[in-house]
Amino acid sequence: MSLKNELRSYLKPLGESVLAILIGAFIGAVVLWLSGYDAIAAYKALIQGSFGSLGNFAETLSKSTPLILTAITFAIGARTGLFNIGAEGAVYFGAIAAVAVTQNLRNPVSGILAGLLVGALWMLPAAVLKVYRGVHEVISTIMFNWIAFYLASWLALEVYENPMNPNSTLPIPPGARLPLLVKNSTLSLGFVIALFTAVVVYILMWHTKLGYELRTSGLNSKAAEYGGINPKVAMLWSFVIGGMTAGLAGALQVMGVPPSYSISQGLANVYGYGFDGIGVSLVGRNHPLGVIFAGILFGALNAGATQMQQTGVPLEMVKVIEGIIIVAVAVPGLLDMFLKLFRRDRA
Amino acid sequence: MEERTPVLEMRDIVKVYPDGTKALKGVTIKVYEGEILGLLGENGAGKTTLMKVLFGMLKPTRGKIFLRGKEVRFKSPADAIANGIGMVHQHFTLVEVFNALENIILGMEGHGIFSKIDVENARKKLQKLMDELNFQVPLDVPVENLPVGVQQRIEILKMLYRDVDILILDEPTAVLTPIEVKELFAVLRKLKERGKTIIFISHKLNEVMEITDRVTVIRKGEVVGTVKTSEATPQLLARMMVGRDVVLRIEKPPKEPGEVIFRVEDLWVKGDRGEEAVRGLTFEVRAGEIFGIAGVEGNGQSELIEAITGLRKIEKGRVYLKGVDITGKKPRELYDLGIAHIPEDRTHMGLILEMSVMENSILGMHWRKEFSRGFLLDWGRVEAHARELVEEFEISAPGTKAPVKSLSGGNQQKLIVAREVSKRPEFIIAAQPTRGVDVASTEYIRNYLVKLRNENKAVLLVSADLDEVLQLSDRMAIMYEGQFMGIVNPEEVTEEQIGLMMGGVKGEPQK
Repeated sequence: MSLKNELRSYLKPLGESVLAILIGAFIGAVVLWLSGYDAIAAYKALIQGSFGSLGNFAETLSKSTPLILTAITFAIGARTGLFNIGAEGAVYFGAIAAVAVTQNLRNPVSGILAGLLVGALWMLPAAVLKVYRGVHEVISTIMFNWIAFYLASWLALEVYENPMNPNSTLPIPPGARLPLLVKNSTLSLGFVIALFTAVVVYILMWHTKLGYELRTSGLNSKAAEYGGINPKVAMLWSFVIGGMTAGLAGALQVMGVPPSYSISQGLANVYGYGFDGIGVSLVGRNHPLGVIFAGILFGALNAGATQMQQTGVPLEMVKVIEGIIIVAVAVPGLLDMFLKLFRRDRA
Repeated sequence: MEERTPVLEMRDIVKVYPDGTKALKGVTIKVYEGEILGLLGENGAGKTTLMKVLFGMLKPTRGKIFLRGKEVRFKSPADAIANGIGMVHQHFTLVEVFNALENIILGMEGHGIFSKIDVENARKKLQKLMDELNFQVPLDVPVENLPVGVQQRIEILKMLYRDVDILILDEPTAVLTPIEVKELFAVLRKLKERGKTIIFISHKLNEVMEITDRVTVIRKGEVVGTVKTSEATPQLLARMMVGRDVVLRIEKPPKEPGEVIFRVEDLWVKGDRGEEAVRGLTFEVRAGEIFGIAGVEGNGQSELIEAITGLRKIEKGRVYLKGVDITGKKPRELYDLGIAHIPEDRTHMGLILEMSVMENSILGMHWRKEFSRGFLLDWGRVEAHARELVEEFEISAPGTKAPVKSLSGGNQQKLIVAREVSKRPEFIIAAQPTRGVDVASTEYIRNYLVKLRNENKAVLLVSADLDEVLQLSDRMAIMYEGQFMGIVNPEEVTEEQIGLMMGGVKGEPQK
């Protein structure tokens, strides 16, 4: 494909996403106004908190790092015809694996590899159940997420607990930590790794035979089979690659985020990214490159939320606004569906 | 026709799509009570668009519709049905996991959410309707397990069950076997006797000649003319339809077949429901011949093709390609060994509609070295390949990057044929290669199959279109309940013989 055509094919979805963000922001403002807050001041603070300074922007990018990676998990699944929401669990184990492995192998590469590997392994049961027994991946991955939560909590509390600090696991040793990109921020090389991963996944999906087979299986499994492609193998790959990126998200989250460089109590600093990644992926049109921008948007919402809270808007309200914007930006997916139905009627 | 009020009139209908395509440029048609009006035109002429306007699925840009002299405007199909107009679409609108009964009563099961569905009453009413029309369908089998022909009958019954007076049939015979077509026509005549009005959309001249009272011919969104069928000839209609005389004959020079390329020995294959779909078939296809398999659809043809293309398990028997045992090999291996497969279902199997022409042009050969550069797919070469196919086969497409769903049915089918031929096969399996394809593309594809045969390839043609099999084959078999009733020479066999074999009577063995 020529670059120009490719750019053009991205322009429409991009426009739709931007429109939805604006609508979401507007509805959020109305809710704020109805609740008696100064919507303009709140939004000013939100933008200030996410893009207002180098430090704030670094915070935005830092917060977007795990979201980009978990969104890719969902995106690859969606492109292969799966609704894989198992990223959440794979994130926990990616983090645990990084903590565990770097205690002895004190370098970042081993931590990253451990995250990739364990993330992929964690997805395997759901993949095997789906492929060989026909268990729906939504059911299995939801269940596995809970298993993951308690198993990881136990590992964090009992096996890798920090004897010096009962509120967290053992920290990643200094030699295995990722260098920071901006001083006094939490933005590490992890963000670059996430970007790199997105590009690699894009190339994999659109410029390799494997990607062609995955996408074909996702769109029409009967045609795939006819075309000499085994849709079951495609699904396995989809789970495994998705598990890898989610596991990587967990590993980067502990290896790159100061000050603790560890998993905090209740898995607080690795919790929720798998679920948020679904929204990020939808906003990014299940495309690894679109996911980068969507991830940064979500990172900005998370980063700006703290500052918005300082204008008197309670944290709960911040979450409400976030939710509205997420719903609104997720609508383009729906909008597309509506348009499709509409077009089919007209065709 | 004498000057009486038409039961239905569409006056000066214009339809411009949002993208600027003028599908209808002022079409006026009149339909009189109790007649069968043929709506004849090539694919893309605007027949379906016109009927969708009538059926309330599309809003016309301009124009008026009169039903029994009163102007009407249907907002939805439900609206049209309530006014006694029913439509059977080319692509079915059945719930696959529901059985016939459930599909037919769907939407009529009562109004309250919790109101009880009177299934037994519906069944009785339906059975009565089927008995009257001598038109039976199994009511309790999920429709996804029924042959296409039966599914269509369910669609028709669905409309009849709703007491429509005017029935629109969009290319109803595209999916039917000759016998089913005859059955359908018998039903249509019965409906006509009962005073129902039928609009019969088709591009098949013989059928229009046989069943209709009058024919309105549409070309490129305009009415070319309306003629009484009794005063028309196929040649006249063909000229009106395409604006030129169509060569309906296929040039096929005599040819001595060569060595055996493909051989099947005592093949047994099971169907979806575990029944013996193919029961001990033995046959061979030689280089430079077209071996045709005719027969009423649903007699094991689909299962046979799936089995020899690696898509279905072979229970018993062996398959050989050029003397090499290929029993149970996967599609990928088979393609690499020199088999190409034009599948019967182009939209669900042959193509990925959402993908581009380019991406579809390498399906089933995407692993070949010529399309890759190291790890990566070489899209440059893929595009060159796609462009070659588009040019050589005169496929009309907006571009190689356009999604395949934007192509017409005929062009989609040509793309499949082009792709399969580009695999450089020794043996080509063509299943229903011209089903639902316009006249020009049909002619092109048929001639191409003959060309492959002239180039000394072995061709297996499986088709429900008897004329097609008769016209193209050097030898032909008639399949009935998983077996061949006979292998005959299409030039010597009589229609009566074929009819008997299709009905399950074994023919005299011929060479």
